[in-house]
Amino acid sequence: MLSNFQQSEEDIRQEVNLKIFVFICVCIVTFSILLIRLLQLQYFEYDNNLKRAEENRIRKVNIKANRGLILDRNGVVLVRNRPSYQISLMYSGFKSKEVRDSVFDRLLRIKDSSGKRLLDSTILAFSFERGRWQKFRFQRLIEDAAPEVVAIFEEHGEELPGIEILVESRRDYPFGLHGAHIFGYTSEISEQELELPENAHYVMGDRIGKKGLELSYEQEFRGQNGLRFVEVNAMGREMGTVEGMPFITPISGNSIVTTLDWRIQKAAENAIPEGLKGAVVALNPQNGEIYAMVSRPPLDPNIFSLEKRELHKAWASVALDTAKPLTNRAISGLYPPASVFKVITAAAGLDANVISEYTKYKPCLGGLRFGSRYAKCWNARGHGVLNVIGALRESCDVFFYQASLDIGSKRIGDMGRRFGLGSKLGVDIPNERSGLLIDSASYEKWFEKKGWKWSAGEILNIAIGQGALLVTPLQQTVMVGTLASGNGLYRPHFLKEVVSPEGEVIKKVEPEKIGDGKVSEHTRSIILKGLYEVVNAPNGTGRRAIVKDIKVGGKTGSAENPHGDKTHAWFVAVAPLDNPEIAVGVVLENAGGGGAMAAPIAQKVLEAYFYPNNSQGVTK
Amino acid sequence: MKKIDWFFMGSLLALIGIGIMLVYSATNNSELIWYHTEWFKQIIHFAAGFIIAAIIVFLPSKSWKNIAWIAYAISIIALFWVGSSGHISKGAGRWLDIAGFRFQPSEFAKIAYLLVSSLWLSRNRVSLVEPRTLLIPSLLFIVPFILVLKQPNLSTALVFTVITLVHFYWAGFRLVDMFLFVSPVASVIFSTISGLYWNLLIICVFFVSVRFKFPLWLIILVMTVDIGSGYVSQIAWNTMEDHQRNRILTFVDPMRDPKGQGYQVIQSQVAIGSGGLFGKGFGEGSQTNLAFLPEEHTDFIFSVLGEQFGFAGALVVLVLFFVLLLRGISICKLYSDSFINLMVSGICAMFFFHIIVNVAMTVGFMPVTGLPLPFLSYGGSFVLTCMILVGLLINLRLKGKDI
Repeated sequence: MLSNFQQSEEDIRQEVNLKIFVFICVCIVTFSILLIRLLQLQYFEYDNNLKRAEENRIRKVNIKANRGLILDRNGVVLVRNRPSYQISLMYSGFKSKEVRDSVFDRLLRIKDSSGKRLLDSTILAFSFERGRWQKFRFQRLIEDAAPEVVAIFEEHGEELPGIEILVESRRDYPFGLHGAHIFGYTSEISEQELELPENAHYVMGDRIGKKGLELSYEQEFRGQNGLRFVEVNAMGREMGTVEGMPFITPISGNSIVTTLDWRIQKAAENAIPEGLKGAVVALNPQNGEIYAMVSRPPLDPNIFSLEKRELHKAWASVALDTAKPLTNRAISGLYPPASVFKVITAAAGLDANVISEYTKYKPCLGGLRFGSRYAKCWNARGHGVLNVIGALRESCDVFFYQASLDIGSKRIGDMGRRFGLGSKLGVDIPNERSGLLIDSASYEKWFEKKGWKWSAGEILNIAIGQGALLVTPLQQTVMVGTLASGNGLYRPHFLKEVVSPEGEVIKKVEPEKIGDGKVSEHTRSIILKGLYEVVNAPNGTGRRAIVKDIKVGGKTGSAENPHGDKTHAWFVAVAPLDNPEIAVGVVLENAGGGGAMAAPIAQKVLEAYFYPNNSQGVTK
Repeated sequence: MKKIDWFFMGSLLALIGIGIMLVYSATNNSELIWYHTEWFKQIIHFAAGFIIAAIIVFLPSKSWKNIAWIAYAISIIALFWVGSSGHISKGAGRWLDIAGFRFQPSEFAKIAYLLVSSLWLSRNRVSLVEPRTLLIPSLLFIVPFILVLKQPNLSTALVFTVITLVHFYWAGFRLVDMFLFVSPVASVIFSTISGLYWNLLIICVFFVSVRFKFPLWLIILVMTVDIGSGYVSQIAWNTMEDHQRNRILTFVDPMRDPKGQGYQVIQSQVAIGSGGLFGKGFGEGSQTNLAFLPEEHTDFIFSVLGEQFGFAGALVVLVLFFVLLLRGISICKLYSDSFINLMVSGICAMFFFHIIVNVAMTVGFMPVTGLPLPFLSYGGSFVLTCMILVGLLINLRLKGKDI
């Protein structure tokens, strides 16, 4: 029996049968023991176990990760988190119909300090019905409850089984409206969004970035949710974490350090007169770091953290507002570049050697006859004879009309593209627009539907920045800044560093050159002279942008537009002119002349940059 | 005789269906959308499992002998690899990432070891009175055993042990041989529980070995090892630090620590007990819905069954398991070939061990070891292992004559 090699077939069969029998016996015995044990638990100890199950006081709770912060380049916290209290109901918390009725009765009688009822029976009935399908999930009754409301519920907590106060984290904006267009906002993830494969790691109730930096850097901000098991009392209120149970610590999201300089941002915000629409951009043309970006009318980001019903009201008011406060005009607003574009026309002519600083045309007498058309200069009294520097200084239209006929639309278009016009610059917040920059070749294709044909006179409009030209304030600022710096075209951006919750720098953004952005040194020196004289010469159009001891250059513009009697005021400043550190672009809709309206704003922004201690910037 | 065993297939499909239903009801509380949920992934696991099982069914039975050594070598290498670079999940280095797939080499090592052990023992006999015959099979066992134990994964290491014991029994050990063979382990356990039991055990070992006329040297050897291991373990036990002793005691009896180790077992018993005779109904049950049970869809799936379908549901599932084991082990009756016998007995032992240990754990009879329940517990690697084993059983039943 010890060895099956000498055994007969019959012996082996018998031995196998014995072993199968032993195996089955072991199965029967062990299975029977288990069944007896089950019977003991489920029959003899049933009542006891049922009672224990009903009294079970342990719950699984998701711990939401803290969202990362947004800081300015000096460490000023621009966007942070605050606790937000949700009064919620759990269906399974009501042990009986009587309990439910008495709780609902109490809830309906709760009033805030002004004597207003906090809840109505519709909401209660609705939440209760929804709870029927999600028995063990909280249904929100009051979203983002005010502290006084939370206090009321905390006080009466023991009388309200099934009702709980949940704490969530919401965004908080210490500087109120400032920078709202840059930051964007967060809101609760919708069911449609949850179904997208890229949102696989979100759960219902998570908040997700919408618009602005919140959207662009959502992956950095969000972190990872945690999990814990808590013991609750008979009322369903938390008593503490259960030891020995899985505990997953949430991982806070990363913070981002932006290129923003809050002193400059604040100066720009405050410089724009109340009630005007427009935008201000300040950036470093040598590396693309954006110091400040303002869009008006302002947007209150706090409204997106409001209670849902309030949110709908607030949302409707901003969405239907004809002034479009939701639009970030600095990147999505399209304006004719107006006279600021003359630097491109001049650069195109100079770089192709079509004109030089000695080129003179017929004197400006307040306009130019071209065919059957009389093209006016903005100054009806005329400028007389000017060279290109003088024409930039005094923004003489007649000079550029005549020059453009020699230069041609293609050269002007190419020069504009070289400095980022007509295409997106790739700023790291969404909804940037590309603008419009077309020459004779693309004009007819563009306006095919309207049946417009390119006429020779069209170039007169282009030369002075009107006609088939549209730019965003960001493009305009980058264009002038890059032309002045001569160091190449850099992608404008907000992200400077990504910082882990522990304060460790995870990622540093290097300047990204997206174009050559170059003209000959000679051309540049002439343009710089022109920009200098606009601000500093006695008859320059931008004298109101002078900053003490700083060599400021700039260009004014006053864009005619079909929507208003007053022109859009433009001013783009660059300083210090010999080695630009900052370019500031200002546009104000229907505000009047660029020199009078926009230049003083640019001046205030420049002062905030060069004399940070004198301005009313934030103190750290 | 060689047609499909409908009892076997019926039980299998019923168990898989019940399993997916239970995983669904244990996890549908989650806030994920359906194609990220565990129940949907479990369906995918089984779909993949069926394909692999079908492929295995149609392969020639002879091929198992051919790949045995290669599979064994690969799985040993893989075990070494996770030992050095394994992905740490819940503190245990058990996972291996290959081309984006995470799997547990220890799962596949079980199958590889089963093949190699069957192959060796079908060609070489083992006998307790001839220790050299035990050398190679013990070596084959001890290498994966230690590697898995080091992960640390005690429960899977015990699966290797069970395969080995059943194989030794099937390859020639008598029950009395088995008794002497495992007596040192019993001695270690008994010595720490009570001196009386230990004394009884030693006396028992002595009388049994004399009664069955074992050679004198073997009796002396067994007695020496038994008494020696008993004393050594008692000394070790007494010199242990309190916290170490507590850890062992808590492992054996989780109720000593009701907030920690014991918590899951208590909750599991409450869940099962509150189900009563006929359960609270599908999808009902506060225990599982409120997630009092961590790992409820993996290790504690039987508690979900007990709570929602009561004693009746548990009885049905245990009967289905019993039918599966019965029909499985009966394959041995069809062929006298020892390789088939060893394969089949090993597979059935593996299933049996998983079922018993898992269910005993959920009713509070055994330590929480993390051994999943075949066909019911959630988990990709384990579903694949089970389906491969099922494929092997069907294959051997249909094509055993080829060997």
